[in-house]
Amino acid sequence: MTKQVDYSLKHRSEPLFRVTKRDRMEKWKIALLYVGAVLVALIFGAILLAFLKVNPFEFYFDVFTIGLVGNAIPLKIISNFINSFVPLLITSLGLSLAFKMKFWNIGGEGQFIVGALVATSIGIGLGDKLNGFFLVMLMCLMGGVSAGIFGLITAVFKVKFGTSETLLTLMFNYIALYLLTFFAQNKLGWNILLDPNSDRPKFDQIPESARMWSMNLGGLTINTTLIIGIIIVVLLFLYYKYTKQGYEISVVGDSHNTAKYAGMNVSRIILRTVFLSAFIVGLAGAFKITSSSFSLSEAITDDVGWTGIVVAWLAQLSPFGILLVAFLLSVLQFGIASASASHTNLDANFADLLQGIILFVVLAVHFLINYRVVVNKDKLKAKKTAELKAQGFEIIDLTLSRNTATFDTKDNVTADKEKVSDGASETESGKAVTAASEGGKE
Amino acid sequence: MKKTIIIALLVVAIVASMAIVFAGCDTGSDFKIGAIYINSQNDTSGYTFAHHSAIKKAMQELNLKDNQLVIVDNVAEEYNAVSTAVDTLVGSGCDLIIGISFGYIDAMADKAVEYPNVIFSHATGYMSNDTNFNNYFGRIYQARYLAGVAAGLKSLETGNNKLGYVSAYTTAYAETASGINAFAMGAQAVNPDAVLYVEELKSWGNQTQERALAESLIESGCGIIAQHCDSAQPQIAAQEKGVFGCGYNSDMTTEAPDAHLTATVWHWDVYYKAAIEAAMQGPANFMEKMGKDYYTGLKEGLVGVSPITKNCAPNTQTAINNVTKLIVDGEWDVFSGVKLSIAKDGSVTMNDAALVDCKGNVIVEAGGASVDDGVIKGSMNYLVAGVVGEYDPTTTA
Repeated sequence: MTKQVDYSLKHRSEPLFRVTKRDRMEKWKIALLYVGAVLVALIFGAILLAFLKVNPFEFYFDVFTIGLVGNAIPLKIISNFINSFVPLLITSLGLSLAFKMKFWNIGGEGQFIVGALVATSIGIGLGDKLNGFFLVMLMCLMGGVSAGIFGLITAVFKVKFGTSETLLTLMFNYIALYLLTFFAQNKLGWNILLDPNSDRPKFDQIPESARMWSMNLGGLTINTTLIIGIIIVVLLFLYYKYTKQGYEISVVGDSHNTAKYAGMNVSRIILRTVFLSAFIVGLAGAFKITSSSFSLSEAITDDVGWTGIVVAWLAQLSPFGILLVAFLLSVLQFGIASASASHTNLDANFADLLQGIILFVVLAVHFLINYRVVVNKDKLKAKKTAELKAQGFEIIDLTLSRNTATFDTKDNVTADKEKVSDGASETESGKAVTAASEGGKE
Repeated sequence: MKKTIIIALLVVAIVASMAIVFAGCDTGSDFKIGAIYINSQNDTSGYTFAHHSAIKKAMQELNLKDNQLVIVDNVAEEYNAVSTAVDTLVGSGCDLIIGISFGYIDAMADKAVEYPNVIFSHATGYMSNDTNFNNYFGRIYQARYLAGVAAGLKSLETGNNKLGYVSAYTTAYAETASGINAFAMGAQAVNPDAVLYVEELKSWGNQTQERALAESLIESGCGIIAQHCDSAQPQIAAQEKGVFGCGYNSDMTTEAPDAHLTATVWHWDVYYKAAIEAAMQGPANFMEKMGKDYYTGLKEGLVGVSPITKNCAPNTQTAINNVTKLIVDGEWDVFSGVKLSIAKDGSVTMNDAALVDCKGNVIVEAGGASVDDGVIKGSMNYLVAGVVGEYDPTTTA
């Protein structure tokens, strides 16, 4: 009896569709699915392009060669590509660290801004007082540390008061952004960030001495922070794999209680990891100032704080995965932007649209690789019966009668089940028979 | 069946790629213009739209083809983004690069040094060099004064002395301060009792906020809504609430047929036509013809007002014509020690009177020369008497 009641209650609460975790798929299948997803998105994009009277082949060619072919200064384009790739790479790496611990740090934008803001202040403020090497080091270090502290505040609230870090990190983005806007618009005596030579408020550039040295490989200028970004990838990989701290992060990510039970200081691990996460994001901000932007802007982040979240998840938080995904996404973003420049009908909004379509399909596949959708067949049947009923069939729904047999005796249920076969045979004759649950008792 | 589809697809692919090859052979004049826009080239109103349609118009008049214009749009005012855009344009062979937003200034200045054979022209800036980089802007305040005159005549007709103004910024930028001041002075030349109430948007464009501020001005009793912001939302609000308004950037009569009086507009094509023509003869010719700082106004036709509508008070056109003549002939300018007094029939008289800001400071003594320099160089940071701006609550009339 009891067992039966349990069964039916569970059954009742089940929705029509249910999502369950899928067993691990083979790697080649996963790869094939992703490639297929991108293809589907591209075909969809091609249809849109055709409507806009743009040749899709030509357009996609420009996208995936990031506009290098036919460009008179291809080396410059590669340098620019690296400049847009590095901030996304480093920011994604930083965010993934917190995500690994299931701490939803969506404050990447704010932490990036704080890093950039502090680095610029030091660059302008101490530009003539410090040796170039130490100045750049100090800018990056302090940019990272202040962003780390900015992120740490949200972690402190989390461990002390159990506040939602999602909301708090989100809101902290706006604090940072409006702080930046304040500096951007107010010409005050102490505001060294603004250009004194401009009557109209405008951010000043950092002096030459505050700029990151770059490498020159036969005419190709390479942003040094690219190397640092790749080093962070390796370090993070080693950190997860071979250090106690890395192990602690994944344990805390799985369950706070397990971690506590194992004698770990959960609060300390959270604080440490969030600081490190925000530190790396802040570093990305400082790097951008010292290596490619040279001045602040209200658009300094280029949305990497948001895009980085997507990158981290698509890469399933693996450092080398992030390297790959950030690269591919940068190719897409940069390529679409270059390609739409050479096609007069297309504006940057179309670039965003196409990028959105591709990401959407890829994320959908990502979901289907990890989960499968289970259809509740009983409920589906019930729905169909109702439809048939509406069409004027007389219906005795056996599945429903089974469902509602909750409080019946065991015997009744068996009786209902027997009717199933009857019902099936009679349906064949063209007229749906059987009794509804109440009818079954009659 | 499957085979047929595959073959069909292959045929399509081959034909398409051949089409590309043949399209690539299309040549013509090899002069290319590169444009960097702050918003989308497909906008249908606003700042980017005004520039884009002007460049297109100028190109048409010069018989240039569409593919001689390369555009990178939605470019934020960020050094790296602007540098990348410039490289993309230079790499695709552009000879003249136009940047329309103020924040592009540093990147354009640096790139002008990096690419000495390419001409850089920057709107609303102040930087330039001797060889291949200039800036251009105009005396939009002169056109604002004209719109103010139309608004003043309308306020006399309706008997409502309260005027409203939705402004991107107030005294933070000379561009916005001069616009507010000129509009107020134009209205006061007709209706000395007119008071201008200013709401500050604190950004150059935000449709929702533009509308909200316009509505709040209308609710506080303003009968005419002028604007210095990107969209037509303030005019649409005026239309819906049954008051009047003066648009900006483009003729907004279509958006607000029963409310719109006249809009302050830029005729950027005047500059672009001259600039493109000069640039086609090389950087030296460009710098010689256009100058390092191109700054013109009503006289050259760079600024103006859109055709006055049926909503305007009688004699508005006469008044506007009279003031225009004074400015074009160089007899008078807005920010001087001479005030105009405009009668209901549109006739204009000149009187010496000091230019006073809303805190009572004298900016120009009676009879003094125009301080339009303050607008050009960007140092104008005051609002004139008769303007109530939220920036300073003590001035509330």
